[in-house]
Amino acid sequence: MSEQHELILTIDHPSGLHLRPAALFVKTAASFQSTIRIANLDREGQPESDAKSMFGVMQQAVSQGHRVRVRAEGPDADAALSSLQQLVDQRFEAEE
Amino acid sequence: MIGLLIVSHSAKIAEGTKELAEQMTRGEVPIAAAGGTDDGSLGTSADLIRAAADRLVARGAEALLVLVDLGSAVMSAEIALEDFHQPYRLSNGPLVEGALMAAVEASIGANLAQVAAVAEQTKDLLKVHD
Repeated sequence: MSEQHELILTIDHPSGLHLRPAALFVKTAASFQSTIRIANLDREGQPESDAKSMFGVMQQAVSQGHRVRVRAEGPDADAALSSLQQLVDQRFEAEE
Repeated sequence: MIGLLIVSHSAKIAEGTKELAEQMTRGEVPIAAAGGTDDGSLGTSADLIRAAADRLVARGAEALLVLVDLGSAVMSAEIALEDFHQPYRLSNGPLVEGALMAAVEASIGANLAQVAAVAEQTKDLLKVHD
């Protein structure tokens, strides 16, 4: 069964989604089977991109304080979103 | 795992790019720097490039993506890798952004074509958003 879910995350990290936080975000997303897309809600007209690719995440140019919408579709969509939520909640420090 | 070979006319640029890319991936991806000439001045050296490529293979790299700062580094890299036995690709991507993105892509287990594609795509990344 394929599920589709989405959540909105506020990125509080001083680097935004760049450098290490971006790398951790991509690596976390890439560890799931589901298709995961990201869109920066604070950049008007920014189309969604692939959250499992560093290029996709960089395209969103997420700075500190920006809100991103993350959509996941696939068998592990729920688990993927909770992991990403956790990563952001822990300010990307979990794996440091 | 794909290894990254950073070639610059400046040893400092090559080392600094390697440092940034390693910070992104916490040493999970083999990365080697080959900057400057044999005597440490500005330029490139086929011998240094080859030595760096061999170090990457020794660290377990199965294939290499070679990133260069300027086109004139390409010829040195080609000479250096003329009889190199592992698969490799020379990237048209920008050195710093290409290396960072490629390192992350390599760290999630991507193959050479995927890592090369990501490095190349960074040419189109906007840095200033008005």
